[in-house]
Amino acid sequence: MSGLAPHCGPDEHCITCGDEAEPMRVVGVDTALRLALCEDGSGSRRSVEIELVEPVSAGDRLLVHADVALTNLGESA
Amino acid sequence: MRFVDEFRDAELGRAVAGEILTAVEPGRHYKVMEVCGGHTHSIYKYGVDDLLPENVELVHGPGCPVCVIPMGRVDDGIAVAQKPGVIFTCFGDMLRIPGSDGTLLDAKAAGADIRMVYSPLDALRIAREHPDREVVFFAIGFETTAPSTALTLKRAKQEGLTNFSCVCNHVTIVPPLRALLESPDLRLDGFIGPGHVSTVVGARPFSFIPADYGKPVVIAGFEPLDILQAIHMILRQLAEGRSGVENQYSRVVPWEGNLKALEVLAEVFELRPHFEWRGLGFISQSALKLSAAYADFDAELRFDTPGVRVADPKACQCGEVLKGVIKPFECKVFGTACTPEHAIGTCMVSPEGACAAYYNYGRFAREREVV
Repeated sequence: MSGLAPHCGPDEHCITCGDEAEPMRVVGVDTALRLALCEDGSGSRRSVEIELVEPVSAGDRLLVHADVALTNLGESA
Repeated sequence: MRFVDEFRDAELGRAVAGEILTAVEPGRHYKVMEVCGGHTHSIYKYGVDDLLPENVELVHGPGCPVCVIPMGRVDDGIAVAQKPGVIFTCFGDMLRIPGSDGTLLDAKAAGADIRMVYSPLDALRIAREHPDREVVFFAIGFETTAPSTALTLKRAKQEGLTNFSCVCNHVTIVPPLRALLESPDLRLDGFIGPGHVSTVVGARPFSFIPADYGKPVVIAGFEPLDILQAIHMILRQLAEGRSGVENQYSRVVPWEGNLKALEVLAEVFELRPHFEWRGLGFISQSALKLSAAYADFDAELRFDTPGVRVADPKACQCGEVLKGVIKPFECKVFGTACTPEHAIGTCMVSPEGACAAYYNYGRFAREREVV
């Protein structure tokens, strides 16, 4: 739509502006930096702040909004 | 994907729609407000309203953070972005929100260094990479997004970054709901509560709605079955003559919210005495500003901003749309002068806005598709 941000298109929820978080799977955890490498449903990976949901382990599913995990949904099935 | 596919099951959806049909009283008209723009988007993306009986009307609430930003705040952002040496960062949708003299995108085209980021942490990264520049983040969002800004500011403070600051436009969800309930324009029967705001604040803050106004609230997820089930739970409360806060989204939302997030918010922010909401006017204690401990990161203290209240364009009826008084297609400029490509009002800019949801999914009139 705008050509600015793919996630802002009409077919996707606008995760950064729309106050809607997305589920991501934890691939690895850096406990010292309080960051986790996480993967979304399409396989794209980002670094996520985990301070609000610690402790976190690889395999956990987190609800992430604007690169911050808000809920730990537990291990994926 | 687990927790997604099963909540998009068409057969189950039709079964819940059947239960909804049995829960409504013939001859009674029900108005249910979905507070969150994410719900509005899902309702039209999946055609949830087509599964509802004619006498169940969904009313769209003020829970799209981009839509409620008044023009004066956009002007303040543009004024900061135009300062020499500033790198101004914001979310994608904010770039296209009209101020009184154009958008941030217009200011970017005119030479201001304005960059889209996916999170405030991206803005902090830019500040680390450009120690000789002032990097400003234009923060918007309800309690879902505020923790991200708060953690970013905590990191900036820990790292001793002096070239990072924030224009804080974070808002809180409870005061506008109370304002809507006090409004004589609107009669509502119940509320679909915001799913992800509630992961932070919990379900408890919504208990004033049944306690003070006798209306049911059901916190709901964002998949079509979540929304249908929440509507059924609201109608069941009404049929049984009771009202309370129920949590349809218990797989994600804890009753008490995220206590660590609430602690961080309390450390970094404090309530503003009042804040202007587009279409709703000034609402007391409805927004956040940086606390005294983080005042050094407050861009409104660091830079001069106009701070002027600007009235919405006369043709724009975003205010009535945000209050649920009119449907988007009832606005005079909907789909003609105001489209997602050339928006006059905020509700047409964000995909979470009711006007954009109606426009993008072809809802140009009152008639609903019969399923």
